[in-house]
Amino acid sequence: MGLPKLAPAQAAHDKLKALGILALNGMFDEMDAAGVLRYAVSDVLPGDLAIVSSFGADSAVLLHIVAQVDPSMPVYFLETGKHFPETLAYVETLKKQFGLINVHAIHPSADDVARFDPNGNLWESDPDSCCHIRKTEPLEPVTEQYGGWVTGRKRYQTRERGVLPHFELTSDDRIKVNPLAYFSDADVIEYRQKHNLPEHPLYAKGYKSIGCAPCTSIVAEGEDPRAGRWRGLNKKECGIHYDFSGAIANPMTAASRHTLWKDGAFIQDPFKDWVEGTKASEARYVHVPLPEFLANRADYLANPHPLGLLVSPGEKIEEVADDLARFASVAIKFPAFTDGRGYSTARLLVERFKYAGEIRAIGDVLQDQIPHMRRCGFNALVVTHEPTRQALIENRLPEMALFYQPVGVAEVPVGTRPFLRRVS
Amino acid sequence: MYRYDEFDAAFVAGRTAQFADQVKRRLTGELSEDQFRPLRLMNGLYLQLHAYMLRVAVPYGTLSSRQMRKLAHIARVYDRGYGHFTTRQNIQYNWPKLKDIPVILEELASVEMHAIQTSGNCIRNVTTDQFAGAAADEIIDPRPVAEILRQWSSLHPEFSYLPRKFKIAITGAPHDRAAIRFHDIGLQAAVNAAGEIGWEVWVGGGLGRTPMIAKLINSFVPNEHLLAYLESIMRVYNRYGRRDNKYKARIKILVHEEGLESIKGQVEAEFAEVRGGVLTLPSEEVDRISAYFAPPIFEPQALTQIDVAYESIVDPAYGRWLDNNINAHIQPGYVSVTISLKPVGGAPGDATDAQMEVVADLAEQFSFDELRVTHEQNLVLPHVALKDLRRVYDALVAAGLAEGNNNLITDMICCPGLDFCALANARSIPIAQEISKKFAEPERQKEIGELKIKISGCINACGHHHVGHIGILGVEKKGGELYQITLGGDATEQASVGKIIGPGFEAENVPGAIEKLVDFYISQRTSESETFIDAYRRVGEAPFKEALYGNA
Repeated sequence: MGLPKLAPAQAAHDKLKALGILALNGMFDEMDAAGVLRYAVSDVLPGDLAIVSSFGADSAVLLHIVAQVDPSMPVYFLETGKHFPETLAYVETLKKQFGLINVHAIHPSADDVARFDPNGNLWESDPDSCCHIRKTEPLEPVTEQYGGWVTGRKRYQTRERGVLPHFELTSDDRIKVNPLAYFSDADVIEYRQKHNLPEHPLYAKGYKSIGCAPCTSIVAEGEDPRAGRWRGLNKKECGIHYDFSGAIANPMTAASRHTLWKDGAFIQDPFKDWVEGTKASEARYVHVPLPEFLANRADYLANPHPLGLLVSPGEKIEEVADDLARFASVAIKFPAFTDGRGYSTARLLVERFKYAGEIRAIGDVLQDQIPHMRRCGFNALVVTHEPTRQALIENRLPEMALFYQPVGVAEVPVGTRPFLRRVS
Repeated sequence: MYRYDEFDAAFVAGRTAQFADQVKRRLTGELSEDQFRPLRLMNGLYLQLHAYMLRVAVPYGTLSSRQMRKLAHIARVYDRGYGHFTTRQNIQYNWPKLKDIPVILEELASVEMHAIQTSGNCIRNVTTDQFAGAAADEIIDPRPVAEILRQWSSLHPEFSYLPRKFKIAITGAPHDRAAIRFHDIGLQAAVNAAGEIGWEVWVGGGLGRTPMIAKLINSFVPNEHLLAYLESIMRVYNRYGRRDNKYKARIKILVHEEGLESIKGQVEAEFAEVRGGVLTLPSEEVDRISAYFAPPIFEPQALTQIDVAYESIVDPAYGRWLDNNINAHIQPGYVSVTISLKPVGGAPGDATDAQMEVVADLAEQFSFDELRVTHEQNLVLPHVALKDLRRVYDALVAAGLAEGNNNLITDMICCPGLDFCALANARSIPIAQEISKKFAEPERQKEIGELKIKISGCINACGHHHVGHIGILGVEKKGGELYQITLGGDATEQASVGKIIGPGFEAENVPGAIEKLVDFYISQRTSESETFIDAYRRVGEAPFKEALYGNA
């Protein structure tokens, strides 16, 4: 990738060091974001400063300031491959509207993705490692070439950021510039309105902090705006904001004891077992039994946390058809493998109600039924039966590659025996 | 008849390999019997009283000579030299070894056959009229649709773990020879006002411990929407059929308990969603499948009539055979021939490997290479020229297959009973054998005329006793076997379920009891043309009961 690297301005770096970071942080009015950036560009790190932007919910403010100060400043966008399409569109919108002429996408290494995330679900089993291969690693060669970089982080965003200064010195002698460190949510909104900045298309839908699509969820009124990031996981930062030498989890964290099989691997299950008596308002990362959901529907719909739905045989998926989008996962229970009601439920979910989220089989899930489950729309399995686990790991399911009848949403092309025959 | 293309062949080969692996895992102990059971059942493998039993599908009862020879070969090599043709138009082998099953399935696959879904709680082999494509009274040949149903239902991912087994029968003729009203779904060809051919759909019929006559759920489903309609029924059944009690799990109970109107409403609601979707049958595809079942190229025949009366004088046995075992054909100069598997004193439905070879030869030589299996456990040569009848008959005589008793009192349906079956309470084959000996005399049989006796060794009713004009049900009473007699059953379009008319009989008294009923019928009938069932319907139950039990 041809990076717009200018020669490092070693002198400026020295000057900063000479001044001392504390002094630097005392030079500016808290809200003088443009002043901070202008000083950084012209005095501290001329030609040696770049910006990494997520083009997220409030990226516009910083990018707008950048465009005012220096529209040719290199802007790097971590194209993790996991962004919302709206985010990608937003990149183009801002480029055009602000006149940013030096925006570059940074892609993860294809080798890393192939090695550590062949199925694209690492975010689920090991989000730290996912951030590592998609953000930290690709960014490293870029940051190495600059004396410093600009971030849009703000103090108010999380408790950990409460002491964020305008300038930071990292342990490998680089500078992070945080022009918006003292901005509040209200300040951001005010700035945005004042300058009539285009809003991220997802902001109005309740996304207050936007990262990669799989790890971003809507936050509720009054919730920490970044609560929607890596929700349910003990994770607050993606890794690139850590000290560069800070430890990042090994992507190869063993998952052998995980029971959730998804996209070709046993992975950590973000969901926990439903506990009887859980309050509707407090439930998170559990599959709520369908009758319980119906009984407290309003409360669950008001609950901003990620939730799944548990459907037992005999329960009618039709009764929650309008609310399916609320659930990140639907668990369909097989109390015995001989009870085939779950197959109908899965097909209705996928084919009739166009549910696109996770559909997992739980209960008596055995290898000989799995091919049927897959065809009916299941895309995840919770498996405890050991021979079945081994069969899955060794990829030796008793699977038939040929089918006579169409099921599911992926059909044979029109006109080629639509009621017959599929090759998987 | 239908021929596998590469897809079909690969499908069956794949399934055979899959089951071979499952057998291997069972033999190594990786699979417990509990886990193996549903898998083997879905491949037609039962564990019986003495051994495994393999049930091979004969799709809608149609066989080629090559297939019949393979069935003979399997009987000879892997079994004890015979096979048993069943009421579902299949064949069962009673003594295969588990380790041989994968090889047997490979042998079957080599002639486009399999044992897929001949058991288990899935959609079973679709059955039909044994004279399909040949009968003079047919509206439409049901076999193309039966083949489409076979394909649609094979390893259906949604409907492989139904509450209970599911049986579909289809007929293209107004005279029902496929007992469609005693199946979970029965399909009868119908013509609408516009002259289009579609299907009457009957649902909820069945025998077993709760016999039910199917109810008409839709009087006309256009052919192109048939799969969508059936899938709608299947989905309602899969979701709401009872699973708490296996004896109440068939769709007949769901229909009975919820009521036809309620089920119909649910099915129609489902149908409204799926109608016009991916299951819509394209006419090209129907045509493509139908082409396989195009009638053979019949040659004009000089001989279009046989003087049966004359033949009867010359050779009474041949005359009887002509009288009873010939069915009218759509093509002048041709008939369909029923080959009786009900020799006097024999086990109904059994055929030796040598007999199967003979029948295969006859089919090849005289019936355009086609054979049928009937639900009444006989075989059929569907297209035989009149001029060839004598040669066919002579060959059958030599093979011990020339019993001229089709539809007569010795042409009984009979389940394997306690001699083979793990479920049976009583023997049934010996009862059939004793009855056939009692009425062995051809003149006596002729005098009695059409009379269907059906015998089951337990309440599961594999021998269709409920729909026998005379039904016999073996039950266990105080450690012994006892046989209840029912009267008035009928499997045809005049469907009725027989009634138990009194206390059961010891095995040795059953033939005598049957004789009392037969004699009473003969004494009551208005003429020789009034059959047993007609006379029974006319005079009612009470006189027959009195004839059998005396004036209590």
